[in-house]
Amino acid sequence: METFAIGGPARRRCDGVSRRHLLRLGSAGLWGGLSGLALPGLLRAQEARGPGSPQPRAKNVIFIFLEGGPPQQDMWDPKPGAPAEIRGPFKPIQTSVPGTIFTEHCARSARIAHKFTVVRSHTHADNGHATGYHYVMTGRRAPFADGEYPVPTNEHFPSLGSIVARECGSAGTVPPYINLPHPMSAGGPGFYGPEHAPFVIEADPSQPDFEVKDLGRLAGLSEARLTRRRDLLERLEADRGALPLSGRSAAMATYYRKANDLITSPQARAAFRIQDEPEKLREEYGLTQIGQGALLGRRLVEAGCRFVGIDAPGWDVHFNCFPSLSTDLIPPADRAFAALIDDLDARGLLDETLVVMMGEMGRTPKVNAQAGRDHWSMAQCILFAGAGIRAGQVIGATDAQAAAPTRDPVSIADFRHTLLWLLGIDSRTEVNDPLGRPVSLSDGGVLIPGLIA
Amino acid sequence: MVSPMPTLIAQTSRWRRRRRAGLWVLSLLLAVGSAAPAADLTPHPAALFIDRPEGAEQIVILDAIDGHRVDRTREVSFEVADVHVARVSATGLVEPLADGATEVSARLGDRHVTIPLSVSGVANPAPVSFEQEVQAILTKHACNAGGCHGKAEGQNGFKLSLLGFDHAADHAAIVSQSRGRRINPSAPEASLLLLKATAAVPHGGGRKIDEGSPAHRRLLRWIAEGARADGPDDRPLVALLVEPAEVRLRPGESHQLRVSALDAAGGRHGVTRETDFISNAPGIVGASAAGVLQAGVIPGDAAILVRHLGHVATVRVVVPREGIAFVRPPEISAIDRLVHDRLAALGIPVAERCDDATFLRRSSLDTIGTLPTAAEAREFLADPSPDKREKLVERLLERPEYADFWTMKWADILRADKSKIGPQGAVALTRWLHRQFALNRPYDEFVRAILTADGPVGHESPAAVFKALDGAEVAARSLSQLFFGVRIECAQCHHHPSERWSQDDYAALAGFFTGVKLKVLPGGGEGVVSRGGVDLPHPRTGAVVPTAALGAVPASFDGPSADRRRLLADWATAPDNPFLARAIANRLWAHFFGRGLVEPIDDLRATNPATNEPLLDHLEARLKALRFDLRAFTRELLASRTYQLAATPAPGAEEDRRHYSHALPKALPAEVLLDAICQATGVRESFNGWPEGTRAVEVWDNRLPSYFLKVFGRPVRATVCECERGTEPSIAQALHLINSPEIEAKLGARHGTARRLAESALAPEAIVEELCLATLSRPPTAGELTALLPLFVAGGESITGGGDGDEVLVRRAAVEDVLWTFLNRTEFLGNH
Repeated sequence: METFAIGGPARRRCDGVSRRHLLRLGSAGLWGGLSGLALPGLLRAQEARGPGSPQPRAKNVIFIFLEGGPPQQDMWDPKPGAPAEIRGPFKPIQTSVPGTIFTEHCARSARIAHKFTVVRSHTHADNGHATGYHYVMTGRRAPFADGEYPVPTNEHFPSLGSIVARECGSAGTVPPYINLPHPMSAGGPGFYGPEHAPFVIEADPSQPDFEVKDLGRLAGLSEARLTRRRDLLERLEADRGALPLSGRSAAMATYYRKANDLITSPQARAAFRIQDEPEKLREEYGLTQIGQGALLGRRLVEAGCRFVGIDAPGWDVHFNCFPSLSTDLIPPADRAFAALIDDLDARGLLDETLVVMMGEMGRTPKVNAQAGRDHWSMAQCILFAGAGIRAGQVIGATDAQAAAPTRDPVSIADFRHTLLWLLGIDSRTEVNDPLGRPVSLSDGGVLIPGLIA
Repeated sequence: MVSPMPTLIAQTSRWRRRRRAGLWVLSLLLAVGSAAPAADLTPHPAALFIDRPEGAEQIVILDAIDGHRVDRTREVSFEVADVHVARVSATGLVEPLADGATEVSARLGDRHVTIPLSVSGVANPAPVSFEQEVQAILTKHACNAGGCHGKAEGQNGFKLSLLGFDHAADHAAIVSQSRGRRINPSAPEASLLLLKATAAVPHGGGRKIDEGSPAHRRLLRWIAEGARADGPDDRPLVALLVEPAEVRLRPGESHQLRVSALDAAGGRHGVTRETDFISNAPGIVGASAAGVLQAGVIPGDAAILVRHLGHVATVRVVVPREGIAFVRPPEISAIDRLVHDRLAALGIPVAERCDDATFLRRSSLDTIGTLPTAAEAREFLADPSPDKREKLVERLLERPEYADFWTMKWADILRADKSKIGPQGAVALTRWLHRQFALNRPYDEFVRAILTADGPVGHESPAAVFKALDGAEVAARSLSQLFFGVRIECAQCHHHPSERWSQDDYAALAGFFTGVKLKVLPGGGEGVVSRGGVDLPHPRTGAVVPTAALGAVPASFDGPSADRRRLLADWATAPDNPFLARAIANRLWAHFFGRGLVEPIDDLRATNPATNEPLLDHLEARLKALRFDLRAFTRELLASRTYQLAATPAPGAEEDRRHYSHALPKALPAEVLLDAICQATGVRESFNGWPEGTRAVEVWDNRLPSYFLKVFGRPVRATVCECERGTEPSIAQALHLINSPEIEAKLGARHGTARRLAESALAPEAIVEELCLATLSRPPTAGELTALLPLFVAGGESITGGGDGDEVLVRRAAVEDVLWTFLNRTEFLGNH
């Protein structure tokens, strides 16, 4: 089998690979011919790199993004001793870890607090939604103004999901990078190109008629005929004559290959059938978008997806925030997160799966005049579970107002460096940007202290 | 050699001529002479004057190599003769230490130059100007940026105007608001303003200013001097001097910019350190915070936005491809000449002319949104007449599909959204648009009719536009963007940070639409009425702003009940209007050539220049000369050799996306692609509730459920921006094309093209040719025939699933698979 040097040290840019080459790979195996390889090129290369290199602890990531900015002090960093206008109305509760408290609406995660770790000292200086999201996902400050959600272009830095997908490849039959139930606005492949774009399931898995369109077998067409069509198309596309394969048509060609890979695999199609899950388990996750999204995320990593990005919007609570936080926002997220950890644990998958839950910012310490909280990126929480991390900890702390870290501040670079490290990816690895300049996967960063055993 | 005294030349681009007094921008052009064998290093400026303690002057040391001007600033060694008077950084920034006179020397190998330096005002400085000096610091350190205190609601109770356009409000915010706690007159260094900026106390934005830095010292001095607002002695900045205004760089080369502020009294001081530099093409030329331009390895061009306080200038940078002897191809029209001029300057070679099949397919899809049929392709390819391309364009412009297609395009951006304007409104607007394009109504009249639309929303008219654009402000900013290419919406909340438009201009324009009302008509339905109106208050000061068009004098209306919009329409369609023709010329150019001369296509401003300004000037003039006849204008575009270029770049032009050296592939709109698939398969799409045979392009109902149209990017018509239409491919699109029951049904339909050909007596070669012509508008290649013909003989049970290898089923499957293959070629899915 040909090995596509997807992440090897002698890295080839995507556009340096000929169309013919890609097509051969497409027919030789799934997702760049990497199926069955637990740890492809890059990781093997890194093992040879010597001390100071990351050892892969996780094979995949389920990344739950609470878009809009979850309030740190109303969830995992309560300040019961602060004045009412800071601590808010939610009561603190004890967790399964003595001395660690959450608020009352995080009751389910409180019960399993020994299975994950809260970083309370995440901090950065980008207070915009679009720009903050971009910062988290790409590790680079946004080259656009907040409020704009520009069409992701190849001038942007690749998102975390695209990096993981590219470095690890798929371990199975589904695409290595999936977004649900809609695209993550900052989750694009940037200059990695569409080859590493997420497969987006634009459907809500909590709906009874949930299905991924156009994945089914076409009635009346034999396997031989489908194969014949695919072979014909590949053969003709490989011989394009004078028409250059560039830009859009190159992107389309890539998507064709991925689509073909997807529909030729029964396992891939089965992975999306969330209806196969027992009703009781579905209820355990919560019959909500985020709950069923988390459950589908588990099915997808089981099928070989490396990075499931679940976008859970609605957290930008400027006005009258406490009713919606206590009913619509925190409990479903709490339930989904706790059920996912328990489920992965019960299946023995927790050690090889990294679960992360976070947003792009926290919220102002002081409740505003409209009974809401505003943007506050200086203090945020990140939840880590699985991947053999040291669970049951609180890392870092904030001041009396949950306004700023008082110890162990964790930057976006630190967060990204740590996440990649857990997957065995050295964030100091350099890739070439569109101008051929070597840039590292993370803009600096050190391991979050104490997270990794 | 560079002349010792730089020549001051006013930039006179068309936009700048229109700028209001006081906002005009000067740039310093360096006159470059011929090369001398042993060129001297040339310093800029020739002499340095610093008159304030925190001042700084940037030195630029130029050299000439083979006639090419080279910036040596970061290579020379600098030295100040009297180190008590000033110091100089390795990058040539001179900062004062004490009053006095000395000189700065710059040495490179055995060459050196000296620059006299005079420092004053350190011991007894003039008071800090809030407007000129404090605001410059707040802007450069992004305190008043849109993500921080400059956003509409401010940040954590501290609000500044965006990029410091409102001095009075900002001064009050710093000095008076919050009970004056931001300023501590008795202990200036303990002022919250400074403690936050240096992050000595927790600051959401982190540390912005280092303690002891010039910015810190200046803020401290301003507070110590009483944190005063500007008075009559402060001299406002009237112009920004940027040198050089144009730069030619070799790949990898860098160049320092120098920026000076010129005040009303003729004083001049360096502000390079307090200026923002923003490249519109960072991949070609980057611009550092210190004003150093850095050319990358890719040849191309860029415009650098230079912004200091409210003043902006642009620096144009060209990085020519080296080693290319530009060969000028034949030129059919001025369009070709102007495109070639630009390509020659950049060293980008031009592609070949495209073949007939490509021209047929491209011009049909571009002009009428319709794929040529196999018969049309066959006829066109066989036509021996030399002027057949011109004749084709004439025929296309007369086709009924022309009006269908352009109606759809305009219904998108005029927001014919059924859920917003109701089905009656959507039908009425669509019908009206269709009639305008069918009659080829001149564009200026078309715009006048829309700007002054009234009457029942449900009657054939553009009245529904004012139901979609509800409210004077929405109408003003939407129509401004759509027709004038001016995004004045930024000025709703603040002075446009890189343009001339202020909140005054915004309120003045909206005043035209304040008399527009939507009234319930007797007998049901709604009607648009425009009678009179009021002048609107300034959004911030509340002062009433007289209604006026963009950059025009206040309008004087004929009485209190006149339709105010008529005067706006008069202004818009006047021969000397600077916006209307230019904006539509750029929009149409973008449509046919795949990229606007200005991008985004509806954001025309001096700080977002066209990639080819002379060409846009020419197009604007032609459209006016043609009296806004859009078909005639289209004819001129399509007649150019530039439109008829092949998509294959000439060697060396592969990276070009901005200068039209070859045809840029375009995405097909969702509706056009669906119609093309229907036409090629011979099976119409059936739209629920629509007559049999309706094409997707004709469907006015933008909310009609259609998975195909959704995944291929049909816009929801929520904005006047063409960008709403998605053009990005996705796996979902690919899955739908290769594996959806919908497309499969079209391939196998009993009355479809595939079945008809399978049941015909045609030989396999003829069938493949027919299908290739029907999809790709060209005959099949030898390779395609070799690959596809065996389908007609191979087969058997595994392919057909039909028992004993039935010949009918084999032939049927073969034809379907040939068509499937052509439909899924990337060549089919786009317009190249």
